[in-house]
Amino acid sequence: MLTNRNYQSHRKKITVACAIFALILAGLFARLVYLMVWRADYYAQKATQLHERERSIKAARGRILDRNGVVLADNRTVCTISVIHNQIQDAGQVTEVLCRELGLSEEYVSKRVEKVSSIERVKSNVDKEVGDRIREYGLAGVKVDEDYKRYYPFGDLGSKVLGFTGADNQGIIGLEVVYEDFLQGQPGNILTVTDAKGIEVEEQGERRQEPVKGRDLRITMDRNIQSYAAQLARQVMLAKEAQRVSILVMDPRNGEVLAMVDVPEFDLNDPYGLPEQTSYAAQEEYQNLLNAMWRNGCINDTYEPGSTFKIITAAAGLEEGVVTPRSTFHCPGYILVGDRRIRCHKVAGHGAQDFVHGTMNSCNPVFITVGLRLGVENYYRYFEKFGLKKKTGIDLPGEAATIMHRMEDMGEVELATVSFGQSFQITPIQLLTTAASIINGGKRVTPHFGMEVLGNEEQGAEVLSYPIEDGIVSEETSQTLRGILELVVSEGTGKNGKVEGFSIGGKTATSQTLPRGSGRYIASFLGFAPADDPQVIALAVIHDPQGVYYGGQVAAPVIRQLFENILPYLGITKEEADKGQDE
Amino acid sequence: MATKTRTRHKRKEQSEFYFDYSLILIILFLLGFGMVMIYSTSSYEAFQEYDGDSAHFLRTQMIASILGLGLMIVVANIPYHFWEHFAVLGYVVSMGALFLVKTPLGVKSHGATRWFKIPGIPLNIQPAEIVKLCMILFLACLICKLGKNVRTWKGILIMVAVSLPHVILIKVITENLSSSIIVLGIAALMVFVADTDYKKYIFIGIVGCLAVAAVVFFIVTADSTEGMDFRSRRVNTWLHPESDPSDTGFQTLQALYAIGSGGIWGKGLGQSMQKLGFLPEAQNDMIFSIICEELGLFGAISIILMFLMLLWRLMIIATNAPDLFGSMLVVGVIGHIAIQVILNIAVVTNTIPNTGISLPFISYGGSSLMFLLIEMGLVLSVAKRMQLRET
Repeated sequence: MLTNRNYQSHRKKITVACAIFALILAGLFARLVYLMVWRADYYAQKATQLHERERSIKAARGRILDRNGVVLADNRTVCTISVIHNQIQDAGQVTEVLCRELGLSEEYVSKRVEKVSSIERVKSNVDKEVGDRIREYGLAGVKVDEDYKRYYPFGDLGSKVLGFTGADNQGIIGLEVVYEDFLQGQPGNILTVTDAKGIEVEEQGERRQEPVKGRDLRITMDRNIQSYAAQLARQVMLAKEAQRVSILVMDPRNGEVLAMVDVPEFDLNDPYGLPEQTSYAAQEEYQNLLNAMWRNGCINDTYEPGSTFKIITAAAGLEEGVVTPRSTFHCPGYILVGDRRIRCHKVAGHGAQDFVHGTMNSCNPVFITVGLRLGVENYYRYFEKFGLKKKTGIDLPGEAATIMHRMEDMGEVELATVSFGQSFQITPIQLLTTAASIINGGKRVTPHFGMEVLGNEEQGAEVLSYPIEDGIVSEETSQTLRGILELVVSEGTGKNGKVEGFSIGGKTATSQTLPRGSGRYIASFLGFAPADDPQVIALAVIHDPQGVYYGGQVAAPVIRQLFENILPYLGITKEEADKGQDE
Repeated sequence: MATKTRTRHKRKEQSEFYFDYSLILIILFLLGFGMVMIYSTSSYEAFQEYDGDSAHFLRTQMIASILGLGLMIVVANIPYHFWEHFAVLGYVVSMGALFLVKTPLGVKSHGATRWFKIPGIPLNIQPAEIVKLCMILFLACLICKLGKNVRTWKGILIMVAVSLPHVILIKVITENLSSSIIVLGIAALMVFVADTDYKKYIFIGIVGCLAVAAVVFFIVTADSTEGMDFRSRRVNTWLHPESDPSDTGFQTLQALYAIGSGGIWGKGLGQSMQKLGFLPEAQNDMIFSIICEELGLFGAISIILMFLMLLWRLMIIATNAPDLFGSMLVVGVIGHIAIQVILNIAVVTNTIPNTGISLPFISYGGSSLMFLLIEMGLVLSVAKRMQLRET
């Protein structure tokens, strides 16, 4: 038996050891105080994030209204019908009711009713009335969830401008994309506490964060003008068997776009439906066809503007002083530039004429002469000053950039062709905006649709504003040019654009599409009214018309018809009848 | 002569009747509290895993407790000197037991083979627990046998040398670093108490701290964790638990969420969210963090105070033991419990790198609990023969 004594020194050491242990425990206690008092909020918040699962509640998307408040894009309440297998009491009745109300086959419904799953969707995008009727049956295990779906009351009206939304109500193209942040709203949440496997812990209840509705957007488009322009475009497309017709209507004073038509348009309520005859082989081809259908020719595509661009050459020449309205020219039917002979459209030549008549005749040698007088550097400087090198900044996605020679690469021949609108490409909206800026007294405006974002529960209304650059040409040049362009319509090539009782300014264009000699043309006409104080400017571009293809004969009448109707509608008063006769 | 007989008689009488009731009370409280917490932490998971049997873990723990308490009473009533004859046998058998986990009797669980099962007995036995008990007994005997030689370097080296085989075997065979540390810690504490010197221990302590600091510094300044072994990565995870929330840092982070979200007053008994599958081993090594979450800082301090009281009672018994052998047995038990409590709380609060250590009396685990109660039986047996210093 071990009988060693327990010495005093041992006792002391035991006490020391226990004291050390106690000290360490005190230290750990201090650590706990730090974690549970100072860091408590941090960890508690992290833990809550971990424990809560959220189910989102969709927010209603903001509507799109035209300038007068007509709803162009709206939300429709639709229902999603689902069945929860283990809550169903009378499977037979559920199947029977759902078949009848939803018009589905019994086989389809019973397969879903009998499927053992947590929740099975039977049909979505069901009309609200049908959903309400199903709810009234009070069937156990049948869930009717309300949801929002974008709805466009006017179908294909302004389809390429408005755009449409996808399955999650997010914008896909057009204004729906650009104003996404304002329109989308904030989805709400139902927060439920769950265990690690995601099973709800019922005692903890749920928290709700209500969704915030998206804000309404008021745009500058006028439904009536848009719809009338679309009608005209469709008519001319049909009559001339054209490939495409674009019509743009804008207020030149501030850049508000009143209408933007690019037929054929598509049905916004069925944006994935191709025209009936179209057939396609592969999924990729289908997507390409859709993209082509959604493409907005007014801003996504460029073209050679042709003679309408003479407005720009004239403005540069007048502004620089290399030409005055009284300057005289001689057109033998062609002009020699370097070693090249560039022909006028009138083979016999226009003979002797002053600048005003040169413009009225749309005489190429006149404008080539003006361009050459300016020289490459000056011409290029005006091209940039007028804003032609930049994009217009319109509030639509995918605006195409100008395709232009580099200044270093521009020789006399290039300069000559650019002077009458060939060998470079711009978008129709660029042409319209630049012309508007020249005739409005020299203010470079930003074309736009967004006018105002209306308020919702959280934010107030907001008027949208766009940059305006002053002084791109002098008021004097602007005024001179307005006078010349008025003469183009009253007596020159643009006669078909004349509207009884109104003074109209304008310019026609007929450009051959590339490759040259294909026999395909683009006929266009740019017109504005009233000629001395422009309040509306419009451009019609007709791609590949059959038969007569001259802009003055094909495009000018379209703008005439448009103006006949919209000028009185816009409140522009008829002028004294004698004024037009005086000229 | 007559006087002597009388005093002896009196001493015997007194010690026969001395029973440390406060110690018993503390043990029973910790056991009871542990069972409440085990039910609270495990019922939700048990309900799902064991087919609606939410009391699965509680029942196993209760069986182990009852068995353990029975063993404790038996041991408490056997004079502790009886065990000195088994010291060498225990030393050898416990080493053999470690090898059992490598035989078909070994039980794999939680990714490591640390248990073995004797056919016919429903509990899995962790041989490391046997080692802890046998090592306490063996070292206590050795210290008495060495007598004054304990104070020499030779004596110290002998004691370290006899404990090292077990320490290494636990690490190598059962891959259980924490149990190795505990056995080593028990041995170190017993050597420290047996010796009269302080200086060399202060020196060793300082050197040890510096070494740990150097290792941590080396790991922290290393460029990448590539090529580091499992433990080194654990050290990295310890320093930045949120940078590695998917792997080793996950458990630590979940424990911190639990502790932090408890706050001062706690969420209330049974209200823990972290136990719903978020915190792995909630009823086991990590039970202290759930105590913090449900009972708050006050629950945590109550438990720490209970352990301090337990240590205090053990200290009283150790200092008043009738002889060195009894005292050393109790010192070993003090070492075992104190080290385990400290390491467990340090791990759940991320004060040290994560390593699996259970909280004595409270964590779920049958064999650990039973051996702890046997150790308590030994302590009670020593306490029975305690002589108050005045007599």
